[in-house]
This record gives sequence, structure tokens and C-alpha cells, in this order.
Amino acid sequence: MTDLTPITALGASAPADQHFGPLRISENADMALASLALRRAADMPAPMGLELPAPGKWSQGQGVAAFWTGPDQWMIEAETRATEDFAAELASHAPGCSITEQTDAWTVFEITSDRGDAPIRAMMEKLVNIDTGSFGPGSATRTGLHHLSVFLVRRAEDRLAVMTMRSMARDLWHVLQETARRLKGEPA
Amino acid sequence: MTRLSGGLIDRSRSLNFTFDGRKLTGHPGDTLASALLANDVRLMGRSFKYHRPRGLIAAGSEEPNALVELRGGARQEPNTRATVAELFDGLDARSQNRIGSLRFDLLAVNDLFSPFFAAGFYYKTFMWPKAFWEKLYEPAIRRAAGLGSLSMQADPDAYDKGFLHCDLLVIGGGAAGLAAAQAAARSGARVILADEDFRLGGRLMAETHLLDDAPATGWVSGVEEELASLPNLRIMRRTTVFGAFDHGIYGAVERVADHLPEPGDKPRQTLWRITAKRAVLAAGAVERHIPFANNDRPGIMLAGAMRAFANRWAVSPAARVAIFTNNDDGHRTAIDLAAKGVDIAGVIDSRDNVTAMGSYPVFAGGVVSDAKGRLGLTQVEVTQNGRSQWIDCGALGVSGGWNPNLHLASHHRGRPVWDEALQSFVPAKDGPPGLIVAGAANGQGSTAAALRSGAEAAVQALGELDITATLPDLPQAEDVVSKPHALWHVPGRGRAWVDFQNDVTVKDIKLAHQENMRPVEHLKRWTTLGMATDQGKTANVTALAIMSELTGKPIPETGTTIFRPPYSGVSLSVLGGGNTAEHFRPRRLTPTHHWAEAQGAVFVEVGPWMRAQYFPRPGETHWRQTVDREVLATREGVGICDVTTLGKVDVQGADAGEFLNRLYCNGMKTLKTGMVRYGLMLREDGIAWDDGTCARLAEDHYVVTTTTAQAGPVYRHMEFARQCLWPEMDVQLISTTDAWAQVSVAGPNARRLLERIMDEGVDISNEAFPFMACKSLTICGGLRARLFRISFSGELAYEVAVPTRYGNALMQRLIETGADLGATPYGTEALGALRIEKGHAAGNELNGQTSPQMLGMDRMVSTKKDSIGAVMSRREGLAADTRRLVGLQPVDSAQPVLAGMHLFTEGAAQNTETDQGWITSACYSPHVGSAIGLGFLARGDERMGEVITGANPLDQQQVALRVVSPHFVDPDGGRLRD
Amino acid sequence: MLIPHPLLGLRDAQEFTYLGDARLIDRPDGMAEGAEAAFAEYVYLRDNPAGVHRELWFHEQGDRSWLIVTRDTVTHEILGAELARNVALAANGGEA
Repeated sequence: MTDLTPITALGASAPADQHFGPLRISENADMALASLALRRAADMPAPMGLELPAPGKWSQGQGVAAFWTGPDQWMIEAETRATEDFAAELASHAPGCSITEQTDAWTVFEITSDRGDAPIRAMMEKLVNIDTGSFGPGSATRTGLHHLSVFLVRRAEDRLAVMTMRSMARDLWHVLQETARRLKGEPA
Repeated sequence: MTRLSGGLIDRSRSLNFTFDGRKLTGHPGDTLASALLANDVRLMGRSFKYHRPRGLIAAGSEEPNALVELRGGARQEPNTRATVAELFDGLDARSQNRIGSLRFDLLAVNDLFSPFFAAGFYYKTFMWPKAFWEKLYEPAIRRAAGLGSLSMQADPDAYDKGFLHCDLLVIGGGAAGLAAAQAAARSGARVILADEDFRLGGRLMAETHLLDDAPATGWVSGVEEELASLPNLRIMRRTTVFGAFDHGIYGAVERVADHLPEPGDKPRQTLWRITAKRAVLAAGAVERHIPFANNDRPGIMLAGAMRAFANRWAVSPAARVAIFTNNDDGHRTAIDLAAKGVDIAGVIDSRDNVTAMGSYPVFAGGVVSDAKGRLGLTQVEVTQNGRSQWIDCGALGVSGGWNPNLHLASHHRGRPVWDEALQSFVPAKDGPPGLIVAGAANGQGSTAAALRSGAEAAVQALGELDITATLPDLPQAEDVVSKPHALWHVPGRGRAWVDFQNDVTVKDIKLAHQENMRPVEHLKRWTTLGMATDQGKTANVTALAIMSELTGKPIPETGTTIFRPPYSGVSLSVLGGGNTAEHFRPRRLTPTHHWAEAQGAVFVEVGPWMRAQYFPRPGETHWRQTVDREVLATREGVGICDVTTLGKVDVQGADAGEFLNRLYCNGMKTLKTGMVRYGLMLREDGIAWDDGTCARLAEDHYVVTTTTAQAGPVYRHMEFARQCLWPEMDVQLISTTDAWAQVSVAGPNARRLLERIMDEGVDISNEAFPFMACKSLTICGGLRARLFRISFSGELAYEVAVPTRYGNALMQRLIETGADLGATPYGTEALGALRIEKGHAAGNELNGQTSPQMLGMDRMVSTKKDSIGAVMSRREGLAADTRRLVGLQPVDSAQPVLAGMHLFTEGAAQNTETDQGWITSACYSPHVGSAIGLGFLARGDERMGEVITGANPLDQQQVALRVVSPHFVDPDGGRLRD
Repeated sequence: MLIPHPLLGLRDAQEFTYLGDARLIDRPDGMAEGAEAAFAEYVYLRDNPAGVHRELWFHEQGDRSWLIVTRDTVTHEILGAELARNVALAANGGEA
């Protein structure tokens, strides 16, 4: 165990976590990420029992999940393993694939609603040019958000993850806070 | 005039407001315009050019005259149409474009000089002397010909943007729009209904027509209630759809809080980008007036607007009114106002043989030929059968027919077509794909036709999407088509206004005709017709009909100007959508940002990044003191700098080496595993583009770096090469810039410092880990890290990378652990000075104008393989360029060296022909003890030792410079390899 | 504009970066005879039609695919979009 003390993407010792009416936005600092790309003529792997999803989709396994990021390329998520060398472990489960550590390349904010999907949709409408009507649970995509590049993962009706490059975490946090605060002031 | 009976205002509550300081009251449901009329205010503004007193023309967003300033302080907002300003308690409104009071505007003197301000006067009058334009004419014109004024303070309110998607967008919530929305919503399709008003119903709210023998308000509330209950339909009130863009994208502004004193937590306005598979344009129509002498007297307005004020807002502009019309519709105003007890002085109808439709006098075959009442109408002159008489009235309603609001249908260049029967332009069939026009906007102006065409449009639109919708049962409604008699203006001697907002008269159009400014686009620019905030909604068609009369060409041949977005004014604030000040664009923070902040570092923007520029210490009074100390500390002890901002790309696959061989002009395939090589990328035209390092971590795994500035473009280019040029290669790419915190550890003590944080068993001795080596290892008790022995400073140097979350702690650890070794953080200024001293090319040298030859790197361009830019780098034009990268040092060490200075042979004339090159980078070198520079100099490689001149003609600077090697420090590179 | 992404459906053009003429995927062989003339043409000479144009768009705020989009430059009508990689593979005689 290293004796260096990590900080969060927002520069704090603990992850950010805030409530705005029906919405809660929390920084998920514990998730490990690694990209998986198929090499030429490789068979489709099923690392750690995961079925790799089709374009635009996210799928979940036991403590791990995956979303499609491009042709023959996926991002693998592993809960609570951010400080481990998850990429190395994944590589051992995915022969014939190129694996790249991405844990700290991204900062992940989980948005959850305690009033179903409406607040999540209202939030999306203010942030991204993605049709909420065709972005139900199990959808994932990359898009632009206020000049930021983000991944969106609809984990459930009432749950949306937004990820951006770690160096821009402060900007994303600001936008999410501001938007959630304003939505409180507007009827859904 | 007090209020009339009825109307859609809430009389149980009163709202206080002020106009030019006067305290007035109105009711919820009022606009500022209706509330002013209810308080007997007819004079609301001054005209643009002549400062003529003006009142309301219209009741909606087409209003050209009643532009007012709202609110005060930082929220002061100019040029709002009083007709769209929803009244709220405490509203502070002021008239504008005046000096002195509204009644006695000192600039009204302009009206006396009107002969000088005719069409094209800008182009004719203020020509001479030339110098007067900027100093005298323009400021004076701007002062006089103004609209409202800005607060000159930052806007305190928030603006938002958003994105919506639907099957059908219905634009306009009148009869046609409501019927369309109802038909569409019942089908289950996803529908958005947007209306610019705060109340749905459109013209139905302004008329007394019955629907199924009951007031229209009942039907409207019924539909509204039904629509509100359907989850698949979204009603957007106070929302103006201002533009139709490609592929079904519409721009809209929702005025979320314009009707509130202060927005509170809400945004003031929201800019919506609506992606609609289909759209129905049901924007209604705008009535046109008929120009006659002095037709701009306050109190003269559109007859339909007068009717709207009476029916919806229960106000009349005067107790006794007259109507001037060329069609049946004008008579409706007389009937409706008479029913509310307003005295009708008469209906002047230009058609012969017309009779009254109620009990009021009719002047058949008559016209209004003049008007009196400078600050408010008192009399109009009626000319009938060659005889004229003055009749008393306080207001005149004018009806010249209706122009469909087809603007959005021509946003893709579709030209409106002339309908002779309707005497108006209707939308062309080649409008934006997916947009169907319905109701009065399509010339279907009767209530029954509007309802029917709206519902049919929705059914058709959804049918195209394979969604089955059925026509709802529509209420019985009037179905009278009002066909105007062609009367475009009343001939006469006085000035007759066509465009009220721009003070364009019939005479101006005649003058434009005389001066051969006849095509409509010329007419517009010569006279300023149809410009400014109203874009000629009440003027354009009338103006070109008059031009058609003058040229003798029919209206269709005269043509019309086309419309462009926005349909009505959109504030710049809402277009910015809230991305202002520090949130104008993202600011990327480095992993050590928080540590640097705590050290009191000064930051600088480098592309999107905020980087530490230097780290001042107590007692240092000038940035140069700090930077010199940081440079020397690095050369003598060890300096540490966050270099995470360099782009990092992970390249894997069986063909990774071959792929990089083709991207970089030098070879990368032969690089041994565990080693790093400098790489230069060219553009395909042979110009040097970007440089960095390639580290081979495994046989099939490289990590390459790019410059900070080009990280994005280089990654895009690499994907282009992978997908489009060499798709058969086995290569996978992904950016890892943000994944790793990377710090440079440079200086003679670098190795000693790093050894202290290496885990046991990691050997980084010179033998085990030589210059340009790299490897993955662990530090600080098991933390995975990557170590690269590369140098940008010319010193013994390493870059160490750890997962980003540990970067801050690593920096702190290195500084603390290395205190006795002189460990010193340095910023981008010292980084720059160190690399200039070493003669390393950077962005200033790779500026898109330089070839590998000029950089002294032509031998790097391999001839044994194909790589991007290699062929073109050898072309004649580039090969002939003799300029080479050199070092430059002032002969007198006290003299400055400036980047951008041009280089000349000593004593030579200084001009473009004798130019010998330029200085790319300069700094003070603590190592050399003077300013130094890098630059490109003609035959530079052959001129070592020569004294040349560096010239900065902007400041008359001339500096004698000695040409030296660009490597001011350790030219043999011994330090790198120790 | 909306770009019909072959894998992801209609996506807003703001997610894309534009490059230009799709002929840029036909890069000459730098080691072949007459390469300089071929490159001069490849680098500098482009058609600029008012009408149907095949052009390269990069889905930068998306899946990082390069697309070849066939677009009418006059009406902005989009007639189709393909993954550039598949087009390049087919042109090189490889399998898509």
C-alpha cells in the first residue's frame, strides 16, 4: 500500500456529494476503469463474465460493467477498485485485447433521483443534445456538454452517470450543480 | 379612456408600474401596451431618425414603434416592444430615443431637416471631409438615431440552454396550432407546442367569433386542459421559435422569467435547440397598414390590433375611433368596438358600393388622406369622390389586408409566392423539408379554415412518420375569407410612412426608384427598409408593392426579400447560454494544481490548461527574480515541474511499430523495448507539425506524447491514419493524457532524488537505466508508476508518471524529500527558459511555417520508408529555403532580444526583400547572463559568429546580435548521459 | 445538421469535426515512382462541387469514428454516411 495520499478530482480528500431537491449528485471516486479494444481477428471476449454490449449500450455483471465506446472498443467499469491495478487484471481475462488503464482519465458523477425518471430527463434536457426518449436504462454514449466531452451512462430509470476528463472535473461539477439548482426553481 | 367591459384580465388584482416616472396601474393579463392605453397613454416613443412622436401600431411582436426601456440598474433592458412586455407589479418602463421629455424631445428638430435625411443619406451626405466621419458625423448620428441604451454593467441574471426532441413541433398556439397539437397529441406522438404569447389562443383571444355557438375562450381552455393532461405533449408558453435550421432543428427562446421582477433561482431565458422530425408552422398573420400623409400620428394603429386591445384587454385607444380599410375585416373592428360602447366616427372603405355591417357611418370609395394631432390623433381627413372633409376621432384603425407569417418557411431560401386572390405572399412549396405551414400563415385565415388546416397538417406530418393520427371533431366556426381591394398607399403631398421603425416613407421609395435602387435587396439597403428589431414585419410587403407600382412590373416580378433567422430579436446573453466569465470555456487543471495554489503559484492559461507559471518566494519582487532562481536551481540542484499537459496516446497492436513509422518522419519500428525516441510529425505538405516522444513499453505497446496545444488535433490525425489510410493494420489507440500525472525531475541531483522514492529492488543507475530508457515500476510503497529518462532542459532528467489522483502527493513528496538536494518547483516560464538555453524546438518554432530542414532535422526524415509528409518535405520549394535554426546573443549583454524581431545583415537596408529571418523564442538566460534567442536565419548554419541586426521597427529597436549555436547549454549533451 | 451515423443513428453535427473531401483517404504511395506529382495533387487539388459531395467527418464528441458523409452542399441534404474504415478497407481490397 502506497504511502502517498490520493486526492479526488475536485481536489478534496472525500468525494463530493450534494442534494438538490429530488436529485443527488455524488462523485464516484472508487470505480476503476479500463478500456478494452479488440485486436485484429480477435474473438469477442467475455472478461469476468461480462457480455460486451452493442453500440450505444451499457451492460452490467458482477461488480463489473461495460459500455461501448467505439467500434471494437469498450470501457470496463469495476466498482470499488480504483486504487488497484485493474487494467492488469482485466488483461489477464481478455487475451488478444488491448487494455489501457483509464481509472484516473475520467471523473465520474452519479446522478440519482428519488422521484423516478422525470428529474433525470429534465437534467439531461438542459445538458446534452441526446433524445431522452431513446436513452433509457442500459444506454451509454459519448457527447458534448457545455464544451466538455462526456460519457453518459443511464444505469437505471432514476440513475445517470456523467463522466468527463479528470482535468475538467471542476467545470463539470459546476455545470451539474448549477443545472440541478435551477431545476429546483422550475416546474418539471 | 377607462376600461371597456369584458376582456381576459384579472380585475380582482391591481399591478403598480411606472412609465417615465408616472405611477400607473394595470391588471394581471395586461401587457405594458394595454396597460398604457388603459391609462390614456397614446404617446409611447420617438421615431428612429426624425424623432416623430409615436404610439402603438400593433398588439403583438411585430410592433415597430413602442420600443421601451425596462427595469433599471444592471437589469436595464433596451428596445423591448411594449406589446410583448407582460405587466408585473413594480415594472419600471421608460420611453427612449429622446433628449428631454417624450412630449418635448429636443431632437425633434431632425424632423425639420428631413429633406436631408432621405433615402441613402448616409451614403451621400457625410462624405467629406473624410476625417469628420469618425470624429463628428458618426458619433452625432449614433446619438441622434438611436434606440435604447445599455446599462453598461454586467448582466446579473442567468441564462440557460437546453435540447428537446419530438416527433412534431407545433409553432404557434392559435386556432391552427391548437387543432394541430390536439390531433397530434391524441395519436401518442411526442409533441411540443410553442407559442410566443403568455396565453394560448392566438387570434381567438382577440376576436368575438363563436366556436360551436360559444365564446372561443371555452374551446381554448378545453383543448388546453386536454393537452396539459397528456404526458406526450409539452406546452411551451412565452417561447418564440426564431429559426428553422437544417434537418428539422429549430431555435427557440423561452422567456422563463421576463415577466417576473427578478428571476430568483430561475434562468432569465432559456435557449432551446429543438430537434423535430416534423413541424407545423401556425404562426398566424400580421395585418398591414395603408400609408397616407402623417399616418404615424399616435393613435393610428392597425385595425386588428385595435380589436385585440378591445376584446382581449378591454381597452380602446380613444372614446371615438374611425376605421380605414380596403377589406371586410376592418368592419369587424367597428362592430366589436361599437358593441363595447366605443363611438364609431365612421368606416372609410376604399371599395365602392360597400355598406355598413352594423350601425356606423360608412365612407364608401373613400380614403384617409391626412391626419392631425402631433402628440395624439385629433382628426383625420377623409377624401371621397374628390372632396375632402375632416372628421374628429382620437384613434384610427387601419386595415390593408393580412400578410401570412411565413418567415420560418423561407429560412432555407424558399421564396414566398404571390397569391393574387389574397393579395399577399404565401409560403413557397419548397420550404424547409418536414415543415408544413397551416392556418393564416398559409393564407388559410378564416377560423374554420385555420382549425381544419392545422389538424390536417398534423395528421399529414405524422402520417409521414407512420404515426396514425385522426382529425379531431372541430368546432363550427366562421368561414369568411376577407379579400382586400388592392390599395397600397394613398397618393398625396405629405409624408406617408411605410416603415415606422426606420422612418421610411413613400417618398423614400420613390427616390430609390429614381436612383435606380429598384431590386428589393437594393431598396432595402438604400432606404434601410425592413431593418432593425421588427425586420419590417408591418412594412416590407407594402414597400415592394409601391415599388411595383413605380416600375410597372407586377408584384411577383418585383419579388420579396427573403427572411433569415431570427424571426424576432434574440439577446446575446441567451445565445451565450450562461457560458460567461470563468465558465466561458472549460479550464483544465493539472494534477498538482491544488498543491501549486497552496504554494502561491502564479498561473497562466496554456491552451485549455491552467499551468503554474512560476512560484514566487517571499522577498522576490519581480517575476524575473523568481524565474531566474528556478532555472538556476534546476541547473545546479534539481527542479520539478508538472508536465501532465502534454498529450499522451496509448498505441497498441501487432502493427503499432509500423503505424508509428508512417506517422513520424523518423523511424519508430526499430526502437528497442524499454527505450524512448524523439519523434517529429510532419503535415502531408512537408511542414513540421508536432513533436514528442515515443516510448516502447512492450513489443506491441507504445506511449507517445504530443505537444500540449496539439493534443486534440494529433489524436484526430492518428485516428484518421488508422481508420482511413491504413485500416488493415492491427493498431488500437486511446488517449491517456488525464490518466497519468507526469512530473519532470531535472538537474544534476535528479537521480539521487528519485532513488529515494523508488521501491526496493528498482535500479535506476546510469547503467541499468540509461539516457532515453523507460520502464514500468513501483514507487512510494507499491504505487504503479512509469519512468522515462528524457530531458527537455538539457540536464540529467526524468519524467515520472503515477495515476493522476496521486500526482499532488507525489509533487509534495519530491519537494520535501529533496529539500537537501535543492528540490525546487518550476513553472512554465523556467521551463521555457531551460529549453531555449538547450535549443529545443517548441511551439514557436513549430508554427506551421517551418520545414524539417529549417529545424536542422532534415536528416531525420527517413528516405527508407514512406511517412506522412516525407515526400513533400523534399520538394524544391522547401529544399531551396536556406533559413536555419540558430542561437542569437546580443553583442552588448545589456541589450534585449525579443521574439518577433526580424533579422537583417548588419548595415543592410531593412525591407521585405532584405529580410533574413526572424526570432522565434527569446528569454533571459541566467546561464549565459544575458538575453538570448532562437530564430531562423538565412544560411544560418554557415554564419556562426557573424554579427547581424535584430530589428523591431514598431519600437525603433535595433540590436546587434551574434549568431551562435542554438545549444547554449552543454552542446555535446554530456549532462544528459551522466 | 444531423449526421446519420451508421452505428448510432442521427447525431447532431455539433458532435463532429469536419475535414473535407473524402478523396483524402486515397493517399498515394510515397515510395512509388512519381510520388511527388501524386502528392502535389493529393495535397492541393480538390473538387469543390455545388451539389453532391463525399466528405470526411470525425465523430469527435462521440465514438471517434471517421465517417464518409455524402451531402448536397447546396441543400445540405444528406444522402448517406458510411464508416470510412469500411470504405478504405474495401478500396484496399481487404474485408470490411
